[in-house]
Amino acid sequence: MSAPLMEVRGLSKAFGKVVTARNIDLAFQAGELTSIIGPNGAGKSTFINMMSGSLAVDAGAILFLGRDVTRLPIHERVGLGLCRSFQVVNVFPGLTVFENVEIPVLVAAKRATRFFAPRAREAQAHEAVREVLERVGLAARAEVKASELSHGDQRLLEVAVALAARPKLLFLDEPTAGMNPVERVEILKHIRRLNQEGGTTFIIVEHDMDIVFSLSDRVVVLHRGDVICDGPPAHVQCDPQVRECYLGEEVA
Amino acid sequence: MLESIVHVCLAGLSGGMFIWLVASGLTLIFGVLGVLNFAHGSFYMLGAYLCFSVLRALGQNFWWGLLLGPLVVAAVGYLVERFFLRRVYGLELPYQLLLTFAFVLLFDDLVKILWGAGSLGAPGAPGLTDSVPILGRQFPVYNLFVIAVGPLVAVGLWALLEKTWAGRIIRASSSDREMASALGVKVPALFTAVFVFGSWLGALGGGLAVPYLGLLTPGMGEQVIIEAFVVAVIGGLGSLKGAFLGALLIGLLSAFGTRFLPAFDMFLTFILMAGVLLWRPQGFFGEKR
Amino acid sequence: MQNRQAYLAAAALLVGLALLGLWGERFLLYLAMRVMILAIFALGFDLLFGRTGLLSFGHGAFYAGGAYGTALCYLHLSKDPLLCLLAGLLLATALALIVGFFCVRHTEIYFAMLTLAFGMMIFSLVWNLREITGGDDGLVGISRQAINLGLAKLPLRKEGQFYFLVLSCFGLVLYAVHRIRSSPFGLILAGIRENHLRAEFAGANIKNYRLAAFVISGFLAGLAGGLGVLLESNAAPFAAHWSHSSEPVLVSLIGGLNTLAGPLVGSFVFIVLKEVVMRVTPYWMLWFGVVLLVILLGFRGGVVGTLAQALGRGAKEARS
Repeated sequence: MSAPLMEVRGLSKAFGKVVTARNIDLAFQAGELTSIIGPNGAGKSTFINMMSGSLAVDAGAILFLGRDVTRLPIHERVGLGLCRSFQVVNVFPGLTVFENVEIPVLVAAKRATRFFAPRAREAQAHEAVREVLERVGLAARAEVKASELSHGDQRLLEVAVALAARPKLLFLDEPTAGMNPVERVEILKHIRRLNQEGGTTFIIVEHDMDIVFSLSDRVVVLHRGDVICDGPPAHVQCDPQVRECYLGEEVA
Repeated sequence: MLESIVHVCLAGLSGGMFIWLVASGLTLIFGVLGVLNFAHGSFYMLGAYLCFSVLRALGQNFWWGLLLGPLVVAAVGYLVERFFLRRVYGLELPYQLLLTFAFVLLFDDLVKILWGAGSLGAPGAPGLTDSVPILGRQFPVYNLFVIAVGPLVAVGLWALLEKTWAGRIIRASSSDREMASALGVKVPALFTAVFVFGSWLGALGGGLAVPYLGLLTPGMGEQVIIEAFVVAVIGGLGSLKGAFLGALLIGLLSAFGTRFLPAFDMFLTFILMAGVLLWRPQGFFGEKR
Repeated sequence: MQNRQAYLAAAALLVGLALLGLWGERFLLYLAMRVMILAIFALGFDLLFGRTGLLSFGHGAFYAGGAYGTALCYLHLSKDPLLCLLAGLLLATALALIVGFFCVRHTEIYFAMLTLAFGMMIFSLVWNLREITGGDDGLVGISRQAINLGLAKLPLRKEGQFYFLVLSCFGLVLYAVHRIRSSPFGLILAGIRENHLRAEFAGANIKNYRLAAFVISGFLAGLAGGLGVLLESNAAPFAAHWSHSSEPVLVSLIGGLNTLAGPLVGSFVFIVLKEVVMRVTPYWMLWFGVVLLVILLGFRGGVVGTLAQALGRGAKEARS
């Protein structure tokens, strides 16, 4: 097995008495579409927040490409290729679709600090923007203001903005939240395809089990800050502990 | 030396109590409405001027002025909230801030038009015009009265918020507006009520300042609002306890500053404000937002 | 197409102003200079407020930094107007760098309060350090000497001469701000305004961008302050007061936020309104309050935004 893309060792976090991560050890391989699931309060959001740098860890280490990123600020993690999307739509609402994607592209190309050169001449960057928009299928709407897109398209745009930074690892936080079934199928197809096209490895944090099992290569189940199960979907589906804690609550 | 320090402390306490009266309304409004009200200093000024006019109309009796003046200002506050502020709650913060700032400009000139651009001399409060000797030096009785009123208002506010039905609603709404609305609280009416009450508090501070200052000037609101901002920030935006202690601190600091470091009195105040904002932005008693 | 129109409009404006400088009478030139100086102040300010979304209540301090730097250089070092301006710019920029370093840690109300605190700190220094700043009297007696170009001397004493220095600065600033607004950096600033969290996750170190916008706006405030001293021949302490900091806020808002033309139109309206109203009544603040209320409640795009909207609607109707 090759060296993992990302590895966490002994990750712990507690808010007062509520433990949201208890000594978690995990490794993620490049190209392996992984889902992290768990009932509400399992520690999924905490996990993603610690990975992306929004939240400091209590203990443990986060290694990305073999490098310790535990205390790195958000923008430097993004610079290394570690990015995330959000549960609530998180785009630049007042800017056009094109400009939304242009921002991370310019930053990634280290051209964002040019303050006296016309943006219009950033041909290379604009090529990259168009390419990303093609990939997610938003090219036709490039000049539309982001706030005027439908909800589903805004989520797609969000994926596009995240992809534009050319991340090696991209966390998607409940990518289908608030979507109708049609949009849901649509975005899942996109994610599956984008993961296969290579370059970016996706880790999805989800609440909805169906999505996860149809999509992932590997499923990690969190419960009250512990990893209670980890393996291929078929294995996880049959795990009695998972069924008890997770499905039990789901039915109730 | 000792009596000098005692007197500086007393001056600081009475000065601090005025800032507290202004800052309490400011803090209450910020806590519930989420609006930092620049015009609050104008309410203080209007309170002082209206108090002055009423007392002159009713035979130089300050107490009538203190009773009626702030009530008129509360009515003004009602108009401001109901017809202007209410229309910008949904907007970004700078718009709300600037709307209240527009009223600062408006009221400043309105006062000049109605009362003249010069200073007005005001009489003392009947029954409290004497001085008493404290450690061999005279201290005005009225200032002692003010030192007593400040904590009384604080206790009154505390009782109102902690012990009454209305207070529970106010506290619920300031911590979670949506929840309060889901529980059937009429949020718009509540906002109006809190704003009117806050305006009244500011005006009360202004009214009480009339005999203390003995002099009314059209710019008096701007000076006070900045001090109230400082106090509200130091205590923690939205925290009444913080505003009270912050007012005491700033009152004392500024009294000692004026006495011992006159050149840096203002500088000290603002460096304290900046320091708190940098190292503890939620203030000493505010909650993290 | 739109771009070309804008360039033509800007060129026409500058040529018009140059012609005014050749033939206008003294008071008119004085007013025009005040408009341009205020526009320089507001152009920089809007980069921070309209573009990046940070409302500062302390930029009067940087204006004063430019003013006092210029005046102090004149009184103690050199009477060369360009050197004096340079000194003012240095002081203003240094102040903006120090103050900005602390202030960009916060946003929204905390940013506004922090800039207010720092601005008032600087005001209190200006007010109290009498030996250096002249306290409440300010620094007076700064006259405009000729610019020494080695071979020739460019006199500035008359309004009609100084006017062209102001006009050149104004033109340069207009061009520079236009470049900044249409640069990659300018787009990132807009992104930070729209959603600073997202901008951070786009990989941008947003504190540095905020600081850069802060320093640029402080620099331009300083330039306005320096020119202001040369125009009025004195530096007054109230330039640093928070109430002066509110001027560019009003100007940006009247003209229209986050546009290049907004600060220009806003400055024009501000100065003209002030002059006109002051001739009729001393209560110009009252009318400003009313104008501000009308804009906030009905026309949040300001003059420029409202016009653009009306024109856009007109064009749409014409097409359909």
